[in-house]
Amino acid sequence: MSWLSFPRRLAAFFQRAGTEREIEEELRAHIRERADDLVRTQHLERAEAERRARVEFGGFARFKEDSRDEAGAPWLETALRDLRFALRLIRKSPGFALVLVGTLAMGIGANSAIFSVVYAALIRPLPYADPDRLIALTEIRAQTPDAPYWNSSYPDYLDLRRQSRAFSSLAGFSGDSFLLRGSGGSELVAAGQATTNFFSTLGVKPFLGRDFHGGEDTAVGPDVAILTYGFWQSHFGGDRNVLGRALGLDDRSVRIVGVLPRDFEFAPGGGAEFWVPMHISDGRLNRRSLRWMPVIGRLAPGSGFARAEAEMRVLTANLAAADRQANGTIRVVMNPLRDRIVGKVRPLLLVLFAAVGLVLLIACANAANLLLVRATGRAREFAIRTAIGASRARLLSQMFAESFILVLAGGVAGFFIAREGTALLIGAIPDSLLTSLPFLANARGNPLVVAATCGIASLTALLFGFAPALHVSHSRAAETLKEEGRSSATGRRRRLQDILVVAEIAFSVILLVGAGLTVQSLSALLRRDPGFDTRNLLTFSVNLRSPAYEKPEKAARLDRDFTARLARLPGVAAVAENSVIPLTGGGNTIRFVVEGHPSVPGSEDETNIREVSSNYFSTLKIPLFAGRVFNDVDDSPSASQHVIVNRAWVARFLNDRNPIGARIRFTYSATEHWREIIGVVENALDSGLDAGEEASIFLPTAQDPSTFITYLVRANGDPAHLLTPARNAMRELDPDLALITPLTMDQIIAQSPSVFLRRYPSWLIGCFAALALSLAAVGLYGIVSYSVSQRTHEFGIRIAVGAAPSDVMRLVLGESARLTALGTLIGVLCALALTRLMRSLLFGISPSDPPTFIVATLMLGSIALAAASFPARRAVRTGPAVALRRY
Amino acid sequence: MNEQAELLPGTLDLLILKAVSLGPLHGYGILLRIGQISGQALLVEQGALYPALFRLVRQGALRARWGTSENNRRAKFYELTAAGRRRLSSEAASWERLADAMALVLKARREEL
Repeated sequence: MSWLSFPRRLAAFFQRAGTEREIEEELRAHIRERADDLVRTQHLERAEAERRARVEFGGFARFKEDSRDEAGAPWLETALRDLRFALRLIRKSPGFALVLVGTLAMGIGANSAIFSVVYAALIRPLPYADPDRLIALTEIRAQTPDAPYWNSSYPDYLDLRRQSRAFSSLAGFSGDSFLLRGSGGSELVAAGQATTNFFSTLGVKPFLGRDFHGGEDTAVGPDVAILTYGFWQSHFGGDRNVLGRALGLDDRSVRIVGVLPRDFEFAPGGGAEFWVPMHISDGRLNRRSLRWMPVIGRLAPGSGFARAEAEMRVLTANLAAADRQANGTIRVVMNPLRDRIVGKVRPLLLVLFAAVGLVLLIACANAANLLLVRATGRAREFAIRTAIGASRARLLSQMFAESFILVLAGGVAGFFIAREGTALLIGAIPDSLLTSLPFLANARGNPLVVAATCGIASLTALLFGFAPALHVSHSRAAETLKEEGRSSATGRRRRLQDILVVAEIAFSVILLVGAGLTVQSLSALLRRDPGFDTRNLLTFSVNLRSPAYEKPEKAARLDRDFTARLARLPGVAAVAENSVIPLTGGGNTIRFVVEGHPSVPGSEDETNIREVSSNYFSTLKIPLFAGRVFNDVDDSPSASQHVIVNRAWVARFLNDRNPIGARIRFTYSATEHWREIIGVVENALDSGLDAGEEASIFLPTAQDPSTFITYLVRANGDPAHLLTPARNAMRELDPDLALITPLTMDQIIAQSPSVFLRRYPSWLIGCFAALALSLAAVGLYGIVSYSVSQRTHEFGIRIAVGAAPSDVMRLVLGESARLTALGTLIGVLCALALTRLMRSLLFGISPSDPPTFIVATLMLGSIALAAASFPARRAVRTGPAVALRRY
Repeated sequence: MNEQAELLPGTLDLLILKAVSLGPLHGYGILLRIGQISGQALLVEQGALYPALFRLVRQGALRARWGTSENNRRAKFYELTAAGRRRLSSEAASWERLADAMALVLKARREEL
């Protein structure tokens, strides 16, 4: 109790009159004063004077007690007494306390952890001025309505920016990367390039230095850079004199003009470490049909979303009329910027939030149930205390103190679970995805989450403090005493417990079904055949943008030499190239016409285009369906121009007619030649395991060389072992070149959004369902065993008058079976309604998949009956003599 | 007959208020003053003083603070609050009315009826 003495001293300090010690001190002072007088006036010995004074004073203990009563019991003192009493009670039944605190901690902890992630992603305002007025704009062609892109062409952007009145500003941005040259060598860093009004559109001001100036976006740039706070800290140690200093980027010297505020983040910019003005030339600058730049806009004051949309319809009609060929079928699609950023994870987070909400409800129901059972068990004690004069307020206050301690302990434990849980939740997100969700990085240690935890904890404290309290006020002392604990609990009390258990079971069914659906989605997704052999594949890229490779022949020579060295490494089976790694998506598309097919300029079909090495299909084991694959003759700049298509392309554009020998022409340039289709390959999934089959055209790399080359290396064994030898091979050729984003195909799949969106919830909802199931089992066990203990007498009589043990068993189990059946039925109905909301997370399974529902129901039913059977067996074992003698 | 009178119920509070109204006092001092101003006629059981003092503090008529007594001991001193002052005057007035009435009644003679 020593830790309780400090608050008591605190109480004494605040409440000058009233504590026992003070009263005693005052009374003793009186006696000493009187003794002083007696010594002085009657010349008594000191000891005799004190004795006389005490006698004159009268009953010291009684007056002290009376004084304390008159002073009014100070609330803090009373509260501490109640808390001490509650602690004694709790220590007497540690099992009960442990289960209750554990239940609450799990409920509160899991809830707060998920909530902190949901808050960071969906609720917290984006760190921009008036973020709700920021809009993402996308140009979409009617031929590619489902394209997941967020792009416009630069000339179109300039026209929209000049003509729009509904937007006060429109800005564009794109990714960028540089070789950063420093004293300690060079490193490849991710950057962003943006129109000069980008930060002012977001409403973000550099906290050091200045924003970009208009006109700084030159094709020969960049000349200036604005650093992110993190880059400023890591590369300049937070030096405030950084402005005006130079960054060595590629072969340029770029002046630092600003540093962004610490809280700046821009998820679509990837992991950009600094920003430079847009520096583009040629096609990207001038071609209207080259859509590569995401555009954001800020709604003008007084202009709303609908007005902006109407204006965009007019402006795009103008664009189409001005350039039919490029813009004949475009429209501009607008989304709130936040939707663009979190659109993909929103359903996931909402489903998790709902699931964890159910867990909290179950935890609360369970805790309430435990407290109810306990309160009912103590009804007799309360009745006796009421009879001998305890006021109801005192009883309520004591019960509240007990609930308060338990909930507080649960809340504190829950807070720590929440903190660790949030870290775990964030840690379970693959790095590659976390880069696109930077707002999750600071989901930790959020004061709002702490507040939410405390809010939940104190709310439950109130609820649970009063649930048992209601019981006391319903019970009449005399009645309770008359019952002598012999009869079963009163109807009202029993019904409340039954409702709680039915609710727990129903919630558990919903979670079980949800878990079953997500787990099956994940396994269906991972079982899906992607159309190529994903085993033992290592991928990485090389960026040849430095001036050393300006001449295409030099780049081609390096590519050839590197490929040869890779192929000679021990453990390498084959080395291929593709402009886009399968399952990662995001490659280019191209417009084309098929020879002999009528086509309106501007309305040409559009399809994926991939540049591959001649051995690509054999390396990835993508089967050939018809014709032949490329050979080394095709894969040279001078060869006659052949293409390969996949079966989805044939189905979509040739209605499955034999394409071999047919010719196509790309329409981006009038000088394009006809290209002959020499082969058809089977489909391989391009954008992800959950993607549909996309039509693609394949070109030999040599006919459209790129400075960004992606290699796919087929290993004989573990592909990860090949990374170091591959790095060494590159170092021998050019020490300045790094292998970018080296990943095995297994890693790519594991980190891909399509898998993440199923694996994450299937783990979490699975855990929640297990938790819910055990809580529901504990709840059912609790009330059945309580009911059995209350009815021991009744069972004894039944057995005494000839009931078989199996009859009693049936009686007890029948009751729990009824509750379970009712809960399951309600749960199944709710699940049918709710699982529809998670449709976007499911794959290859219907939200009302009957086997899932049946298995969930059976699982729950058997666990519920198992939980009930323990107390039921106890009831059967009770001999009649024992049962009757107990009273 | 004893020269000291037992207190009537309910009069202790009034006595305390009156005693304290003449200046802040500690508990023992209040006893002495009641004895002094009543010419030692009124007897207060010493310990019974304290429940009354705590009641008056709780009711807001008195304010208490720790100080040092004439005998150089730590003691708690009481003084009237504004509410205490009001209560003293109203209770004193009603006591006087009662006392006058009692005196009248007790002095009544047959011929005055």
